[in-house]
Amino acid sequence: MFACLYVPDFSVQAALLPERGDAREILRRSPVVILDGPSNLPRVVALNDPARRLGIAIGMTKLQVETCGGVAMRQKSQPEEDAAQAALMNCATAFSPKIESACPGAVILDLTGTEKLLGPPESAAKKLSAAAGERGLHVRIAVASNPDAAMHAARGFPGITVIPPGNEAQRLAGLRVDQLPATPEALDVLHGWGIYTFRSLAELPEIPLTERLGQSGLHLQRLARGEVQRTLVPAAPLREFIESYEFEDPVETLESVSFVLNRLLQQVCVHLVSHALATNELRLTLDLAVTQRRNGNDGEHYHHRWKLPVATQDARMLFRLSLLDLERNTFSAPIRRVAVEVLPVKPRAAQGNLFAASSPEAEKLEITLARLRGVVGDADADGIRCVGSPEIVDTHRPGAFAVHPFSSAAAVVESVTVAFPTIALRIFRPALETSVELDGKTPRSVRFAMKHRSVLAASGPWCTSGNWWSNSWDREEWDVALNTTAGIGFYRIYRDRISKRWFVEGIFD
Amino acid sequence: MSVALLRAAIEKKLPSAFMVHSRDYRGGISTGIPAIDVAVRGVPLHALTEICGSNLASSGKTSVLTSLLARTTRDRFCALVDASDAFDPQTGHAAGMEFSRLLWVRCGKSKAKLRPLEQAFKVTDILLNSGGFELIAVDISGIPEQIVRRVPISTWFRFSRVIEKQPAALVFIEQEPHATSCAELVLRVHAQPALPLGKLFTGFDLKVEVVRGRGMEKKPVHSEYGCSLQTQWA
Repeated sequence: MFACLYVPDFSVQAALLPERGDAREILRRSPVVILDGPSNLPRVVALNDPARRLGIAIGMTKLQVETCGGVAMRQKSQPEEDAAQAALMNCATAFSPKIESACPGAVILDLTGTEKLLGPPESAAKKLSAAAGERGLHVRIAVASNPDAAMHAARGFPGITVIPPGNEAQRLAGLRVDQLPATPEALDVLHGWGIYTFRSLAELPEIPLTERLGQSGLHLQRLARGEVQRTLVPAAPLREFIESYEFEDPVETLESVSFVLNRLLQQVCVHLVSHALATNELRLTLDLAVTQRRNGNDGEHYHHRWKLPVATQDARMLFRLSLLDLERNTFSAPIRRVAVEVLPVKPRAAQGNLFAASSPEAEKLEITLARLRGVVGDADADGIRCVGSPEIVDTHRPGAFAVHPFSSAAAVVESVTVAFPTIALRIFRPALETSVELDGKTPRSVRFAMKHRSVLAASGPWCTSGNWWSNSWDREEWDVALNTTAGIGFYRIYRDRISKRWFVEGIFD
Repeated sequence: MSVALLRAAIEKKLPSAFMVHSRDYRGGISTGIPAIDVAVRGVPLHALTEICGSNLASSGKTSVLTSLLARTTRDRFCALVDASDAFDPQTGHAAGMEFSRLLWVRCGKSKAKLRPLEQAFKVTDILLNSGGFELIAVDISGIPEQIVRRVPISTWFRFSRVIEKQPAALVFIEQEPHATSCAELVLRVHAQPALPLGKLFTGFDLKVEVVRGRGMEKKPVHSEYGCSLQTQWA
């Protein structure tokens, strides 16, 4: 058995898909038309039933539609229709691996062998209808013994139609021949004979029909009888997980962008789930409506990429992550288009260790880190991250360190390092410039915290140098005990032998 | 009327009038310094702790923090909120810290709208709400005392209420205690001078004073404990 999902008024439903659920339902019951054509004279190319009841017809101009009043008008958008078709395909993919994208707004799937999983055809059709409804599409569904009969029934009858094998001709009899994939010339001939329905075409004698219309006429008759058996032309598997939306007018507020972004991420995550995949990389692209081009093209687009430590299918997490980034940025121009792309990977299969100590949830942690970066910033003036795990750099340069991205998944092995309490050095970043009085070569007093402090004891000098080829350092370190009002402070000072200046690097605390 | 009769009469009307509410000990984290662990049973979980010491003289507060982080990161995740970006990774590495389990947040390093102290408090709020960290250490000892003193008591109270429900310890490193009764444990540390032997500075003696220790009925308040700490090269 084959099932066909058909979206009536596909262009209208595709245009309403980006709307919020309740707003979409209200609009669906209101007259909506889709306009296309030259900007000075757009015409109606699609409309829904409420608009038809108002007397609007295809081909009417925008001005004519406006005279009706209370009609919602949308511009035809190919990306929106592609997104709606992709949503329909994804819906079908969840039920059968054999699917065919018959035409925009129609998908045929092979239900053979799914009886144990989906139940009888009526039950399968109801499940299909519910799944399409979850994606915001109102579909007609027909189940028949061959793909073409199913498609004609879906296009011709509202709701769910199940045609038992052998009853195709009888059920399709009332449909109009205009639904058949006939050339305009062939339709003119049929209309000239007074043939308007499938029934009248099916009852014509085969040989005279073939003599007059050729093999195509015979094929049309077999379609009208519901007798054509063919194999499905499988749809190419979706390899790219990209969703985009182009605004009719560029938007300036984050609310408008976030609303669309949320929907795009939900769609892309639904695609991932339907393919049993997850993602560990999200790419966001914003096209800006730049009126004056600056040097280069960087001002026209905004790109951001997130590498996630764990694969996820959570649209909310991805949305919050991208929203936190957008909140921190300001754009030089309004946003014209939003596009999201995710890199598909296999979902995480590992189960958490019940006996392991608690650790931050990997998915939640990314949001937390993004929020922390929003507070303290991404990196300091030297390009070192402000949030992450510290790391010792393989160099002898004093005070050199790096900060790596923090991940709770990276550290799962219990450390065997034995910790001994030692005296910690508290660093001043940047080092505080100071003046030092010397007794011979030994520091006698150090100016610190606005006062000259006498040196009680000094240990040094400890000389280090390196990187003579670029960005070199050459310093003479001293550990000094200074007499302060609060007690004795052990400080590390050094003399930069290149600039001949003294600095306080830190305090042993 | 005798005191006992009076007490009985009051208790008859108000049963909880003379009841002493003591918070149960709900575990602690070892600091890695035996003297402190013996004295206060480690840094308490579900509670706010303050470790105070001078910023001008060597007090040992950063050494206590480093030791605490080194001990905790052996098997659990920790966060260090560094308000003045004073943490030295070299020292941490020498103390045995497992850096892959340490989240280091350096405040005041970028052109953010908030001041370092405000950043530190906001970051602490976020970390407390996110959960999963056994120890959240907030080092605000580099912030001038007059600025920290302006932090309203409601902020400390909020921290103590939030951490109370989490299996984690919240530790503030400061120059002076500010959280008052919101802190379950307040330690004041100061180092006794131990001048270098010969040319080498090798260590100092650490004195720890327990200023506040809730749930430590048997321990005398204002008790002092000592130990000695060595430098990496000693």
